[in-house]
Amino acid sequence: MPVDNATVTAEVTQILRTVLGDIEPDVPVSAESTFRDDLGMESIDVVALAGRLQARYGGVNFARFVATLDVASIGDLSVGHLVDHIVAELNTPVPAEGAR
Amino acid sequence: MSFVQANGVTLHVQELAPARSGRPPTVVLLHGLAADTMASWFFTLAYPLVEYGFRVVLQDLRGHGRSERPVSGYALDDFVDDLDALIGLQADGPVHLFGNSFGGTIAYAYAARHPDRVAGIVAVESSPPTEEWLARLRERLRHRPRILATSAPRSGGVRLADTTLRDDLPASRLPDPAALAAIRCPVLCLYGERSPAYELDPSTRRLLPAARTEVFAGQRHSLLVDQPTEVWAVVTAWLDTEFPRGG
Repeated sequence: MPVDNATVTAEVTQILRTVLGDIEPDVPVSAESTFRDDLGMESIDVVALAGRLQARYGGVNFARFVATLDVASIGDLSVGHLVDHIVAELNTPVPAEGAR
Repeated sequence: MSFVQANGVTLHVQELAPARSGRPPTVVLLHGLAADTMASWFFTLAYPLVEYGFRVVLQDLRGHGRSERPVSGYALDDFVDDLDALIGLQADGPVHLFGNSFGGTIAYAYAARHPDRVAGIVAVESSPPTEEWLARLRERLRHRPRILATSAPRSGGVRLADTTLRDDLPASRLPDPAALAAIRCPVLCLYGERSPAYELDPSTRRLLPAARTEVFAGQRHSLLVDQPTEVWAVVTAWLDTEFPRGG
């Protein structure tokens, strides 16, 4: 069943708040929020986020996503960018065996 | 995100495993001191290593990243004890150890302690725990104490600068040089040509003459995060040579 952007955005936002803990409860999170400038995330927070997302969305290939990033640029990512990747992956049929 | 209790501290650990079944070899990735965290491996070689066929275990060192930051207990042996406990929990055979900077020093110290439990070492911008290494570290902590202040916790906890690391680490007991020289597993040393870490290469070569060394022209201490593609190319070539995979 296809997933929609709004559902994933809500879930990712929830997971983000968990990862960020009680540090920044007042900071609004939207699709436009950037990890570093808006949410004050450091690279290690993004790792923790990825770990939780992988647990939630087992079928999503975060390797492909991480491969597009480097340590310097991850802070520029927005929540929407991440959500788009997850939605696209979840709505892509699983390829047959022999992916590697 | 997961946390494990190891050696009396709570360590932040992430595990990435290949999708295919079987028993892939384990590699533990160890980051450097102060401002560094597992992120420098996560966003560089972690996923390529999974693609290559490794089960990857990333650890935030005590006092770093999202691991617990105890007020004291920061001698080299404390970090090695943590790794020892973590490997006991995470692996049932020899592991590969990849270390960036101080992480490589921990890897060498662990291998000196348990030579039969280490399959291979990749040391990026790193030195074995020798007197020469310790003298440099003392110098660095004395003249640049602010390197410890750069590792700020999110939640107003203890800063690394407020721990006893600055006293504990320089007072570290070093492994017997004979035990370091007895490391028999394949070792790959990577350096940035313009990094001070490269200056310790001659003493590493004397200690471990069989180690393979690769120098990256024009690069500095941040080699791993600055040149991940180039580093990975050298690492895969080395893995293919040292650990050929049966057809």
